[in-house]
Amino acid sequence: MLSERDLRPKDMGRSDEQLIKLYNLMPLKAPYDKPGMESPLTDPKPAWKEKYCTSLDGYIGIDTLTRPKSKEEEDEFVRKFLSGLEKIFSDANNGVLQPLLLSFEYCAKCNTCSDACHIYSATDNNELYRPIFRSEVLRKIVKKYFTTSGKLLGGLVGADIDVNWETIARLGELSYRCNLCRRCAQTCPLGLDNAILSKEIRKIFSQEMGIAPTPLHTKGTMLQIKTGSSTGLSKPAFLDTLEFLEEDTEEKFGIKLKFPVDKKGADILLLHNAGEFMAWPENPVAFAILFDAAGLNWTLSSEIMGYDSVNYGLWYDDIQAKKIALMQMKVAKDMGAKRLVVAECGHAHKASMIAGDRMTSDRIPVESCLPLLWDMVKSKRLKLDPSRNNFPVTLHDPCNVVRQMGIVEPQRDVLNAICPQFREMTPHGVDNYCCGGGSGFAIMNSANFPEFRTQVASRVKFNQILGAFKGKMEDTSIPKYICAPCSNCKGAMRGLLEHYDATEKFNLQYGGLVELMVNALVSMKKPFLEFLE
Amino acid sequence: MILSIIAYISIGLLVGISVYKAYQFARMPFHGRMDLYPVPKEKGFEHGGSYYEELDWWKKPHEVSHMREIVEMLKEILFIKTLFENQRPFWWISYALHLGIYFLMAWTILLVAGGVFELNGISVAVSSSNILALLLFYLTELTGYFGLALATMGSGLLFLRRAFDNTLKKYTTPQEYFNLLLIFVALITGIFTWGNDLSFGYAREVTANLVAFKPFAASGLLTLHIILVGIMFIYIPTSKMSHYVGKYFTFHKVLWDNNPNLKGSGVEQQIKNAASFRPTTSWSAPHIKAPAAPEK
Repeated sequence: MLSERDLRPKDMGRSDEQLIKLYNLMPLKAPYDKPGMESPLTDPKPAWKEKYCTSLDGYIGIDTLTRPKSKEEEDEFVRKFLSGLEKIFSDANNGVLQPLLLSFEYCAKCNTCSDACHIYSATDNNELYRPIFRSEVLRKIVKKYFTTSGKLLGGLVGADIDVNWETIARLGELSYRCNLCRRCAQTCPLGLDNAILSKEIRKIFSQEMGIAPTPLHTKGTMLQIKTGSSTGLSKPAFLDTLEFLEEDTEEKFGIKLKFPVDKKGADILLLHNAGEFMAWPENPVAFAILFDAAGLNWTLSSEIMGYDSVNYGLWYDDIQAKKIALMQMKVAKDMGAKRLVVAECGHAHKASMIAGDRMTSDRIPVESCLPLLWDMVKSKRLKLDPSRNNFPVTLHDPCNVVRQMGIVEPQRDVLNAICPQFREMTPHGVDNYCCGGGSGFAIMNSANFPEFRTQVASRVKFNQILGAFKGKMEDTSIPKYICAPCSNCKGAMRGLLEHYDATEKFNLQYGGLVELMVNALVSMKKPFLEFLE
Repeated sequence: MILSIIAYISIGLLVGISVYKAYQFARMPFHGRMDLYPVPKEKGFEHGGSYYEELDWWKKPHEVSHMREIVEMLKEILFIKTLFENQRPFWWISYALHLGIYFLMAWTILLVAGGVFELNGISVAVSSSNILALLLFYLTELTGYFGLALATMGSGLLFLRRAFDNTLKKYTTPQEYFNLLLIFVALITGIFTWGNDLSFGYAREVTANLVAFKPFAASGLLTLHIILVGIMFIYIPTSKMSHYVGKYFTFHKVLWDNNPNLKGSGVEQQIKNAASFRPTTSWSAPHIKAPAAPEK
């Protein structure tokens, strides 16, 4: 095993059982700075080593990437990768060709991007996670196989890498050690974007080789295309869930809630991440309470593809992303809604408003829920009592919504209006760090990947949270609320708080924005937030 | 005469290949949105926001401040702002090189102007009675000294930093050392060629001869310098040192392009055009050709 300090991109083809092992992690802030507050990182099980690619850093992100059983299988694996690699520079990839070529060709290797990366920082600047490391491996392979200079001059122009199963499999795994948060691109003096290259590697694996993490593909986009939701929630089950939530809301809060479903010609078709109905049902309930209180003409859809906003294709497969985005748009159009409003789900925002924006000309307007929520507060259509939220609150900025869409202020305006103890994380807004759950990490739970997500990818975020609540953490009588208006970010928060036992030990809570708004509603007879009861 | 031809051809190729590269990038297929905030042209959202912060955003005009975009662009071009903010130690040497190049570009133009003056019988010297010629003289001195010093120091230090920094050297290929070395050597030969006459009278005389295609006696050092500069001019646009071309596209056509797809917009038309394109290559994974119809 190499020392991380000696690791170079061309080492990806080495025959080591494991290229590096993580030892040093960024120290956590108080109260997690004491010995014994964190479990040590574990080694992969021997059986995993035989079956999967644990030879990168010991973690398994791609659970469908299994070791070849013969030399022929290995050769075919390499051949398919090279075939896909060639295709990303062809007209099959027109939708990203210009940004890809720019980022591929012009890197000056100044390393300015490194310090912007939360994974690189969390691992005490481990070379393997330097943003340009994987980009450079990709460049070396391209140079070796597809450029005249590489074929003639080899190492002189950087084409000095052994390409075998290990190289390619490690590169595939390494593409899942990047959250695609694009924070590094903000700091590049040339405006280059390493996340594009990470995603292109994922695309080669999925679109050409048929290899992608099960939660993203088989149980993600494929399940969604088949059943309408990546949760597997069918139309009858969805309608049952709504009915249950209506009864539950009446029982708990005495509110007679009726979710409008399939209302033709509604002003708003509200699209939730269906995971909310399963994991955080209080979120769609809070939306319904607020939209009714504000007198909005809105509806949910029970049509297949109409009740789940997710689009995991965004993270690994352009073809899947387009299929889903177009199907969702068709449902919205068929319903005759005047606009589609995306609820608290970051990647769904980006998929439908940014990526989806240039997939078809036949669209209805798509809007984020955040300006709508701020408008309800600003216009005083809701009677709110901020004193009901008189506990420390901080805001997590989902990368997709903030850095990649520029929706920065509305959610802050709401919190400033209804949370007297709102405080920002450092840094925040467009400079904020990823939660560590981005680009699929939040739902990738196979083998030991959750350990990487929680203790490595979410580490900087956890420190940001601890910093925001400095001086309040150890007082367990005070709830401290992390407002994360995004389903995937909430998934990462859930993993973090569970792993560090932070709710039990320090009364650290998390949830969305609408829950805080409903909690502040004057009309509520009891707290909407369970931890206040 | 041959040196004049080399000078003209190399400058022509530097400009020509750069323009051709820009043309190639400009005619690349319409791509998906990859905006990254802050986007400086967003008027009224200087905190890093966008029109998506507005309710009913599609009903309101998308207000764009080209002035802010130009100012940001100039900060990048003139000061390499992003590097200054994010990696100050590296900025010092990188900026020395880039600022040196800007000075040398100005110096070249001033030498040409001075050469034309001389060809027309107007002396460009400290004793000149012509105000314009005097101004030319001093500006040429200033840009020449600073340009040669900064660019040589910058390229040399960048080379050394890459060679001795444990991280940078892992990522630097021999070709990339060559790039810096080529610039450095071309500049060093320049310093030795022009350094004997700190008034740059000799440089102006040679430039005048090059401009006028007049034969002149060239020393071995001058010949080497012109050939090296010529090679550098031709090589730069073919290498990744042509990032001056790419940088326009990365910012303006990728990170700062957030033009929405609205009815009747240019973006809508481009999407329609792109939709009619049939790629010649296709992906091979089994699910790509799978039917997209959901189960009812």
